Amino acid sequence: MHEISNAGIATTRRSFLITITAAGISMTLTLPHSAQAAGSSITSGSVLATGLVSAFEPTIWYDIDGEGILSVNVIRAEMGQHVGTALARIVADELEMNWASVRLRYVDTDPKWGTMVTGGSWSVWQSFPYLSQAAAAGRLALIEEGAKLLRVAKSACIARNGAVSGAGKSVSYADIIRRGQLTRRYSVDELKAMPIKEAADRRLIGMPSEALDIPAKTTGAARYGLDAQVPDMVYARPKLPPTRNGCTVKSIDDSAARGIPGYLKSLVLEDPSGTVPGWVVVCADSFMAASSAAERVKVVWASSTAASVSEADIQARGLKLISDPAGGSLVVEDAGVDAAFSVAKSTIEHDYSTATVLHFQLEPLNALAFEKDGRWEIHTGNQWQSLILPTLAKALGVAEDQVVMRTYLIGGGFGRRLNGDYTVPAALASKALGRPVKLVWTRADDVLFDSPRSPSVQRVRMAFDATGQVTGMQHHASAGWPTQVMVPSFMPKGKNGEPYDPFAIAGADHWYSVGAQRVRAVSNDLANSTFRPGWLRSVGPGWTNWALESFMDEAALVAGLDPLAFRLRLLGGSAKNSAGGAKQQAQVLQRAADKAGWGSKMPADTGLGLATTFGQERDMPTWCACVARVRVNRSSGVVKVERLTIVADAGTIVHPDGALAQMEGASLWGLSMALHEGTDYVNGQVRDTNLNTYTPLRMRDVPPMDIEFVASTAPPTGLGEPATTVVGPAIGNAIFAAVGIRLRHLPMRPTDVLAALKAH
Amino acid sequence: MRKPILIAVVALFLAGCVGLSWRSAIAPQAPPLASLFTSEQVALGAQMAAAGNCAGCHTAEGGAAFGGGLGLDTGFGIAYSPNISPDPQTGIGNWSEAAFARAMRDGVARDGSQLLPVFPYTHFTKLTDVDLAALYAFVMTRPPVVAIEQTNTIRFPFNVRALQAGWKLLYFEQGVYQNVATKSAAWNRGAYLAEGIAHCAACHTPRNRFGAENSHSAYAGAGFDGWLAPPLDASNPAPLPWTQQDLYDYLRMGESERHGVAAGAMAGIVHGGLAKLSDADIEALGTYFGDINDSAAREGGAPAALALANSRRSIDAGNETEPGANLYLSACAACHYGPMVKPPAVRSSLALSSAITSDDPSNFIQTVLQGVGGADTPGPYMPGFANALSDADVALVASYLRRTRSDRPAWPDLTAAVAARRR
Amino acid sequence: MTTPATTSFQLNGKTLTVTTPPGTPLLWVIRDIAMLTGTKYGCGVGQCGACTVHLRGRAVRSCMTPVSAVAGAEVLTIEGLSADGQHPLQKAWVQTQAPQCGYCQSGQIMQAASLIRRFPHPTDDDIDSVMNGNLCRCMAYVRIRQAIKLAASEVQGAESHA
Repeated sequence: MHEISNAGIATTRRSFLITITAAGISMTLTLPHSAQAAGSSITSGSVLATGLVSAFEPTIWYDIDGEGILSVNVIRAEMGQHVGTALARIVADELEMNWASVRLRYVDTDPKWGTMVTGGSWSVWQSFPYLSQAAAAGRLALIEEGAKLLRVAKSACIARNGAVSGAGKSVSYADIIRRGQLTRRYSVDELKAMPIKEAADRRLIGMPSEALDIPAKTTGAARYGLDAQVPDMVYARPKLPPTRNGCTVKSIDDSAARGIPGYLKSLVLEDPSGTVPGWVVVCADSFMAASSAAERVKVVWASSTAASVSEADIQARGLKLISDPAGGSLVVEDAGVDAAFSVAKSTIEHDYSTATVLHFQLEPLNALAFEKDGRWEIHTGNQWQSLILPTLAKALGVAEDQVVMRTYLIGGGFGRRLNGDYTVPAALASKALGRPVKLVWTRADDVLFDSPRSPSVQRVRMAFDATGQVTGMQHHASAGWPTQVMVPSFMPKGKNGEPYDPFAIAGADHWYSVGAQRVRAVSNDLANSTFRPGWLRSVGPGWTNWALESFMDEAALVAGLDPLAFRLRLLGGSAKNSAGGAKQQAQVLQRAADKAGWGSKMPADTGLGLATTFGQERDMPTWCACVARVRVNRSSGVVKVERLTIVADAGTIVHPDGALAQMEGASLWGLSMALHEGTDYVNGQVRDTNLNTYTPLRMRDVPPMDIEFVASTAPPTGLGEPATTVVGPAIGNAIFAAVGIRLRHLPMRPTDVLAALKAH
Repeated sequence: MRKPILIAVVALFLAGCVGLSWRSAIAPQAPPLASLFTSEQVALGAQMAAAGNCAGCHTAEGGAAFGGGLGLDTGFGIAYSPNISPDPQTGIGNWSEAAFARAMRDGVARDGSQLLPVFPYTHFTKLTDVDLAALYAFVMTRPPVVAIEQTNTIRFPFNVRALQAGWKLLYFEQGVYQNVATKSAAWNRGAYLAEGIAHCAACHTPRNRFGAENSHSAYAGAGFDGWLAPPLDASNPAPLPWTQQDLYDYLRMGESERHGVAAGAMAGIVHGGLAKLSDADIEALGTYFGDINDSAAREGGAPAALALANSRRSIDAGNETEPGANLYLSACAACHYGPMVKPPAVRSSLALSSAITSDDPSNFIQTVLQGVGGADTPGPYMPGFANALSDADVALVASYLRRTRSDRPAWPDLTAAVAARRR
Repeated sequence: MTTPATTSFQLNGKTLTVTTPPGTPLLWVIRDIAMLTGTKYGCGVGQCGACTVHLRGRAVRSCMTPVSAVAGAEVLTIEGLSADGQHPLQKAWVQTQAPQCGYCQSGQIMQAASLIRRFPHPTDDDIDSVMNGNLCRCMAYVRIRQAIKLAASEVQGAESHA
């Protein structure tokens, strides 16, 4: 566990923080500059106390030292969502702390933290209950001890602003901790039963605040994995096999690299974990030397059949799979689906598809690995440490408790770093070389080793009775399944007993009442074998909601209803889709429509389109709706997004500005994937490896945005992703409204628009 | 029936060449002592050598100054520049001033052999006695460099030195520069420098198939080392005419607000060579070229041309679909986006650049690939994109800018053109 | 061409002399030799802007600038932009809470510093055009725009009061 303070303070200073707790003494050492893990701890203002300090640590989640400084242990990765600030606000609010006394401590891996994962928009939603209760416990203990020191009945005391007061007297937390006998620890069960404050009593949650991780990100002081350094470190660059899976090294010739000053050697990795088959790592004393050498090392691989697979093959395979009613997992299977369709007065059916999408997180993959005192240290930014640690242990042939991951800021996660495969070759190279190895991917290497969002193909069907009522709906989706490839134990079973990847189908199990419903997920085996599918910001709903919400407009057209009216009717509620949830979705939809001027007359070739989502999963609904206003240039095919209006209900908004930033980023990701980015597999690899041809959204294409949160004191849900999934279909629907063409493939390129206009 | 006659004529001509080509050697002498030259002479010679960019050709890459050895692709094979340092064995240390003057004015080496016209004695012949003596003084006071001359690869028959005499007969006019009475002193000074020591026409005038400057199209622009030495006459394709002031700015600072910056070999000539000339001499060059390019007559159209160029600077003229636009906007626009009213010289509006408006894409391609400026160059810096953009990428940017920043027809076969210019 | 060469230049006001293979990008010299890691590697082909530094006061992409090209010149990185992190742009960046993951922000700020020097009253068109080469994968673009305007107005305000 590392502690440093921000704002350039003490970045080269050795300091010891010895924490006395009820459980005993633990020692925390900040390493010298060269081995410091990131901005592992960030202060909200002043310097961390050093020297001997007694501290109050009623749970593992935080401690308060004798100076009254609250340090919150953050087990989530800091990758732009300011999660540390949000979590610390929860703790500090419940503890009645002054915000200025709060510090963040981004902890390294330790079994005591439980599962360490940052994804799924889960962090605040999952952490809120236990952090609130842990902090509530601390507050009660401080009141109890403070009351004793004040010689006032504890029932007459309150905690506020880092002090306990009663009967006109007051004692600070710092004094309580220094003078008191705070030995209180809480069991898990006690914490679970701990009542938390009423929403009306919140003083930090929901209030404006600055994120604690931001100042260091404006001065260059923030430390990411790429910035990690230790003495005697060797740099390395991978020499990637032609395809992600199934390659073996036949021969290697580094003679052309030997003339490069600083070149050390090229390692053919032996990987007991099977994570990086066919890998060669080129080592040198500088990154540039390693990089130049890697370009000169010649490797001959025995390649796999994936080397002949292209995007069209994957999509054709997916289409074949969903066309066969036999396969896959039935995620939703109401009684009478087939009957509803066979007796239907009319049915409609459309297919939708999405292209491969790259994470293209701006910090290319990197990891620094070395063995020290019998333990392996992996220095890198990672989103799912608990997933990769067992793999690392297997790769290194050591017990899991002999591997620790040091925490760093992440220069862009978006799900790429949920898959920690990139740590394995660094560890293997270090083991082979017997020296610390910092493995750095070039941008192209990073892209070629990405776990991209799989291409997807979907078929959606709807049945109407004679009165025009919806009586049945089917949604079949096929894509590569990241969870199947990387953590099959996470896959629940469908109604037919077949396991499925929830992160490849969620979203299709929507809250519309559509009669008898079937949702079927089919794993695309060709995708899974060709590359390693990844979780990418908004995961499955990124494509299921594209199909669903595009289809809803198409169905509304058939039903002869306005797209808003049609959706509101289906969100009227039913037994399965509890009226409460569907009603909340209807509310955000109506609100967004009202704000955007739904139904007003538009200029030529201009249209409004809407789309809605319940978020990432039914158990954590974040209600979100978007209205896009677009103008279509009929001669160039360019779709200009003129405005995005977004309304979200995510329960309590803990850190409002951070929440807004997440919504801004998520919706622009949606826009980027709708109009600007996407690639294709060609011969087993992605076509685009850098920004010359891969073209994510840039500043000039950012439209005005109007984002609103519904006021709520309900428990907070997630909001890093939901806005991503509404923008694409809202744009597609707006294009239809503007010029009457229906596009069913993402991304929607100008050439697609022109072709559709021509055919129209 | 005419063939035998032709053969006879050629035979006679060749015989004549051999006869004419015979020149006596000038006896070697011990290297002159530095004390023979005045410091003023050496200083003037230094200016002349800089203006003539002598070191540019007579220094190998990474080699000692004036040691020769730079390979020059003449179109007839590679000619390696000789060592002109005062080393008596491998350089010209044993050349008398008379031998030096004969080489400069007649293109004949000390030993009597003919020099190839890649050495621009056709221009140096115009130098005054004073300047020539100064140049000799300067060269002979340089540190001697021991460097053996490399063998040229000029192919037959152009490698036959004797034939040079015939070439001279056809294309060489010997004689010191003569003032044009109707022109100003500044004009004549500019012309003297340009036609003489600076030998501007050596690059900027097209050559005929025997490698001689084509006097009928003086300064009409010519290819050089994969670049285009642009026309310096009225056919220059820049949207705004090069006025005396523009030329002064460009030749003095390496950048002109209305045109852009010196790149490629010209950057070295400006920053490494012309920098040693006085302001008056640079003004004189501006006066001369500003006249022969007819800029005064064309300046009236400049405001409209500037307005048009400014209207073309816009980031998305409704053509955002073009992949080249995306590349331009991500790789180039941060620097090349210019303000509306007054274009900056550095990172200029590309709509004013002759690299875009020229029908030869060489300079655009080369600038993108190689960049501008660099070590110890006081002028602007642009990184080369050779390792960052593929041939197709450069072609896309080129075609986008050609279409949106000029009204000229599209450049053909751009991807191949880029590939051909990569080194 | 792999024989190392020695280059000296001014880095944030201090002379740095390095011996590297020719063609070594300035970026890696700054990061791995001078150990100033605020300047980031993103794409290596001059199209993301994460590596932006100032060369003689102008923004350049250090990933494709060979260190030999800066011989004798003044190079400024994010660490040298201000002594205390209080450059108007840095303050505006905090005030608007612009950074998300933060990885691109050193480059964004250095590019913006160049921008507001050239365009003291930047329009949206100016900002979009000059900043378009700086990719923000978190897509914090709205706030980067806001921050630039805020900083520009603060600089103008300070100058008009001076």
